[in-house]
Amino acid sequence: MSLLEARDVSRVLPGDPPVTLVTGANVIIEAGSFTTIVGPSGCGKSSMLYLLGLIDRPTGGTVLLDGADVGGLDGDARAQIRLERFGFVFQFHFLLPEFTALENVMLPMRRLGRLTLAAAEARARALLADAGLAGKEDKTPDRLSGGERQRVAIARALANDPVLILGDEPTGNLDSRNSVRVVDAFRALAHDQGRAVVCVTHDLSIAAAADVRISMLDGRVVGVERGASTPAVPMPG
Amino acid sequence: MIAGRPALLLGIAIKHLSRRRRQTLVAVSGVAVGVGFFLAVSALMIGSQADFVARLIDAAPHIIISDELRSPAPQAGPRAFPGAAVALHGYKVRNEVRGLKGWSAILAAADAVPGAIASPSLTGAVTLRVGGREEALGIIGIDPDIETTVSTIESNLRTGRLHDLQTVQGGVVVGEELAQRLGIGMGDIVAATSSGGTRSLRIVGLFKRGQSQLGLSSGYVLLREAQSMLGRPFIINRIGVRVADPYQAQAIAARLEARFGYKAESWQERSADLLSLLLVRDVIMYTVVSAILLVASFGIYTVVSNSVADKRRDIAIMRSIGFSQSDLQLVFIAEGIILSFIGVLFGWMLGYGLMAILGTLNFPVNGDDYRIPLDRGVRQYALAASASLLAGVIAAWLPARKAARVDPVDILRGAV
Repeated sequence: MSLLEARDVSRVLPGDPPVTLVTGANVIIEAGSFTTIVGPSGCGKSSMLYLLGLIDRPTGGTVLLDGADVGGLDGDARAQIRLERFGFVFQFHFLLPEFTALENVMLPMRRLGRLTLAAAEARARALLADAGLAGKEDKTPDRLSGGERQRVAIARALANDPVLILGDEPTGNLDSRNSVRVVDAFRALAHDQGRAVVCVTHDLSIAAAADVRISMLDGRVVGVERGASTPAVPMPG
Repeated sequence: MIAGRPALLLGIAIKHLSRRRRQTLVAVSGVAVGVGFFLAVSALMIGSQADFVARLIDAAPHIIISDELRSPAPQAGPRAFPGAAVALHGYKVRNEVRGLKGWSAILAAADAVPGAIASPSLTGAVTLRVGGREEALGIIGIDPDIETTVSTIESNLRTGRLHDLQTVQGGVVVGEELAQRLGIGMGDIVAATSSGGTRSLRIVGLFKRGQSQLGLSSGYVLLREAQSMLGRPFIINRIGVRVADPYQAQAIAARLEARFGYKAESWQERSADLLSLLLVRDVIMYTVVSAILLVASFGIYTVVSNSVADKRRDIAIMRSIGFSQSDLQLVFIAEGIILSFIGVLFGWMLGYGLMAILGTLNFPVNGDDYRIPLDRGVRQYALAASASLLAGVIAAWLPARKAARVDPVDILRGAV
């Protein structure tokens, strides 16, 4: 069974005239796969990602998580799912500026409240060490480089041991060396740890490294390509 | 120690405020000044009011039962033929002797009220004459042993003691003003003329100037002296009652009046006009000081509102991580509470300081040192804190609601 599935999903912004961001999209995300969503600017990639990540609510269709319809849940119920099961990495690191790297990574764990403060701190330190940031735990984002901030953001995305990691142009602000490190990290998260990773990207090298490439144009999914490492996934509908 | 989600949200609120030190300082100062002046002004107003009410209560007995009737008893004719037209011929009006009939029973009933003491007295009018000068004097015949426990005359004496009435034959206590008008002093003898004749009285005490509650033209003599002087032996026309709880005086007076028929006037009834003025004064005071606190809350609104506007991106980040709408709302409400709380602490200190300064002020009034009466009760501190915290919560709640409604998609999509 798929981990996450979008069935005939649409997102239309109300207005005169209404603006269609995504229409009739069907997407399946499998655990252990690295999926990219590609397409020209304004084609609805990020909107699709926000719908899959339950940040936004579809105006049509359904989003299924482990077979349960979660797209129509209210804001706080979707927030709880994001907290427990999803991790996000954005183009602009989006760290809280007043908090140190360690505090930023601890934030989702402290909000979820399943670990003691000491256990959360130990886990945050381990995640930062894995990201090559040992010794920089007490630095605030303004004292870290762009690559370091993005790695802190990835560590934060992994804080609550999510099953799905969603990235919105996560390498868009990084140089090629840091981009490669991020892509390698994503592949490892999918292939070694069995998590699902979905990335919106313009970067062809990232798209090439993915197991599944979803192409979008004018709010529609116009193609799904699979790499050799991923079994063929039937598209619903 | 706060743990878990509240600690996290509080920590975020503190971080936000620590980044906006100048605005935080201004908002905290606003609350502190509001609370400080609230305390000083209310201490002044409530203190002076309490002092005034205490004087009202204590200057005279809490209840005065006099030989008056609020409404005369119905005549025999209407009583015998209610609703009928009655014509009476050849009737003669009976002249009744004024005074409280069966006063010993009234006295016993008043004394039977737990904690109450009743003092019988007789009042009447005499004329004082000294060296060609004349002054009218309303005399009150009292039993000094009881009267000292019922009223505060004793403590208002400039010279002499009330008990001297018992030891000096024909002793009288009058006010300083009256004594000055007659040109007499302690130990001097004056002639007192009444319906019972003329006799000599000796000044054994002077009560202080400005004691309007004691009556500017009143004098105290021994009860039996008054009865003799006024030609009304064994008669009394007034019973003063002091009760344990002055605020129960009205209810007790009503019971005594209902039982014996004589007018029983409580201190509240005697001072109804003044008490209604105090109520208006209270309303004005609380309106003004509430306005001060309200203005202080605008500072909190500004800080939290700016914080919400500046932190829209952070709000979107936290929402995307999985913070709920109520989490975000609580963060910003916590900011308002923190500002109010710190403001209240400093306000308490400021208020305490202002009260200390006011407490040192000394004014000479009628030869006495007069200090401003201040109410330093904990109640005002608690009231100021509660009002400020409530105002802080409301001021923060409005922008916090806005923060909770931020759509993260709008921010994430437009982020640069």
